[in-house]
Amino acid sequence: MKTLLLEDIPLITLVGPPNSGKTTLFNYLSGKNYKTVNYPGATVEYSISKIQRKFNFNANILDSPGIISLIPNSPDEKVSIDSLYSHPQFGVPDLIVVTVDSSQLSRHLLIVRQLLQSQFNVIIALTMTDILYRKGFGIDINLLSERLGCDVVVIDGRTGNGIELLIGAIENNIENIKIIGKKNPVIFNSSLDVKYLLSSFREIEAIEKEAISRPMKAGDKINIKKANKQLHILNEYIPGTNQLDQPTIKIDKILLHKVWGLVIFFLIMAFTFTSIFWLAQPVMNLVDSAFGFLSYEAINILGNTWYGNFVANGIISGTGAVLVFVPQILILFLILGLLEDTGYLARGAMLIDKPLSKIGLNGRSFVPMLSGFACAIPAILSTRTIPNKRERLLTIFIIPLMSCSARLPVYALLLAFLFPASKAWIAGLVLAGIYVLSILSSVTIAGIINKFKNKIINAEDNSSFILELPAYRKPKFSMVLTNSYHSAKIYFKKAGPIILILSGVIWLLTYFPDFNPKVDTHNLTKDQITEVQSSVRLQNSYASELGKFMQPVMSPIGMDWRVGVSLIAAFAAREVFVSSLAMIFKVTDDNSTLQSSMIKEMRKATVGDTGQKLFTPATIAGLIMFFIFALQCVSTLAVSRKETGSWRMPAIQFFMFTSIAYILTFITVNGLRILGIP
Amino acid sequence: MKTAAELKYGEIGIIGDIDASHPSSRRILEVGFTPGQEIQLVNISAFNDPLAFSIRGTVIAIRKNEAACIKLI
Repeated sequence: MKTLLLEDIPLITLVGPPNSGKTTLFNYLSGKNYKTVNYPGATVEYSISKIQRKFNFNANILDSPGIISLIPNSPDEKVSIDSLYSHPQFGVPDLIVVTVDSSQLSRHLLIVRQLLQSQFNVIIALTMTDILYRKGFGIDINLLSERLGCDVVVIDGRTGNGIELLIGAIENNIENIKIIGKKNPVIFNSSLDVKYLLSSFREIEAIEKEAISRPMKAGDKINIKKANKQLHILNEYIPGTNQLDQPTIKIDKILLHKVWGLVIFFLIMAFTFTSIFWLAQPVMNLVDSAFGFLSYEAINILGNTWYGNFVANGIISGTGAVLVFVPQILILFLILGLLEDTGYLARGAMLIDKPLSKIGLNGRSFVPMLSGFACAIPAILSTRTIPNKRERLLTIFIIPLMSCSARLPVYALLLAFLFPASKAWIAGLVLAGIYVLSILSSVTIAGIINKFKNKIINAEDNSSFILELPAYRKPKFSMVLTNSYHSAKIYFKKAGPIILILSGVIWLLTYFPDFNPKVDTHNLTKDQITEVQSSVRLQNSYASELGKFMQPVMSPIGMDWRVGVSLIAAFAAREVFVSSLAMIFKVTDDNSTLQSSMIKEMRKATVGDTGQKLFTPATIAGLIMFFIFALQCVSTLAVSRKETGSWRMPAIQFFMFTSIAYILTFITVNGLRILGIP
Repeated sequence: MKTAAELKYGEIGIIGDIDASHPSSRRILEVGFTPGQEIQLVNISAFNDPLAFSIRGTVIAIRKNEAACIKLI
């Protein structure tokens, strides 16, 4: 990557307010082939790419987070603004291309003006002129360019028209800079603040007024209205350009309705939520059985040797454990991306802001929380959209409580143990109850943490909710698809190595030191030998040593070292609990009947030599309780550390959630026993 | 003096001043709520907060306590 980026070619940074078409332009210029890089030590993310080869111009293009002003409003915003001046990896941009919505000139030119005052070389990419024309207005590009003192190019986000012109303008500007020398931008001076802002707006409004041509019929009516207001207002009212999108107003009458708005909101969320599971499940099963098959074949080819086992159970199963979540994450991002692109997510955030603000969260916390039901890792990454630091930290804090999909296989096994197949509907109800409990507990814990916020979350920020509700539009499916693909890739890169390494470690712990145990092979078939061998191997393994060390912790909750080992193994990814139990209870991996043969073995298991059953309704209920609360996911801890900047937050999360889990498991198991349930 | 938070659904007002002591005041100015602009309360969220105003041809949702720092003429 370094060689690609450090070549001595021009760096062009893309800047633009939210909803100005910046991402669309970036996708055109990059050909949707970009890398996402983190700003060192911060949570601000950049996408970088070379300009597509077909444009025949060699330059790097850097996409920056959407900003409306060069005066930072939060620590993260400060990082994104500072790095505009000089990015620690990519240096000072040679040129800045700003996307400006032509129907929003008076708002979007603010950042342009500030960039020009900072002496950046700026080109304006004027978007959404079609909307302006539809309203019956024209725009004078030359005048705009002259008044502002920079090039202006009209581009069409839907067809890509104008991109060639933009490239031409970029080339000309770069040539010019080569002749007159690169200017060093000066940090924007924000001391003048309010007065400065008002005068900026006044200037911009004057430019807008000149550049936008009025409709042919400007009737008397408008003039009277205008005359009435002229006493008070700074700018002359431009009739018409400020019209709202009419279909949007009509749709919002329903979607933001006090009753129906909420009903529809919950329906959309329920749909999103169920499709994460139902659409992804067949694909996940496919991935799962494909890796099961590969693992089986590996043993066949390499033989039942230590390296054969390492490849099959360490590498292949580990990779499978990572990949199995990719379908779900893709589908989640696809749906969220489509909702975002239509403009609905902003409305959802608005609808839910009030209740969430009561417990110290923000309307913007809602999408990350929803994502948490798929996987905590992308969920924590998506909290970056919350500008308030305290609210963002609190959102990150409770995300691990959302019932992520890795818990589902565990619940499936445990519920199948409790309820026979003929009563599957009860299991379904209990599962729904588990999800409700996970929501209630996260809300309760958020509320409690919010009360003691200063002790746990060190950040004081002004709580604020200012969000543009963009006009509804048809989503661009291909663009959403590209973004989902990139999000899935980020998950893969962040969680992948950790899960893989841990799977390897757990394999080592369960396989060594007695990797080739001597067993009495008398009268046994080949399969039986393998089975007995692996069982003896596990009993003498490091993992069992570790498990026996844990025995004092496990006894109070009615479990033994075997469950303890599986709980430790589950730190790689929660669903590893299932395969670990399968390994410990020497269940041969016969795909179709894995669950039923496992349950059969589990029913036989006893605690030590006491004859007391290990898995009883009480201990199973206790395990479910443990999985609801415990933070047993190394990837989540790692991402939490990365996003919060220290180990403090993941440490508190880990100890708090895991002790709550342990205490509640203790209460559940012993409480049920006192009530006479074994 | 009336503030934007006191507008009724559909009601139009003209901004007179922004209370600079409010911590969100600068961001409110930056998104376009400047003196002289006409605003209309176009939507009220389910729990009566946040409020959505039309301003400069777009709609921006802000919390009620933030709307209270927008003083109207």
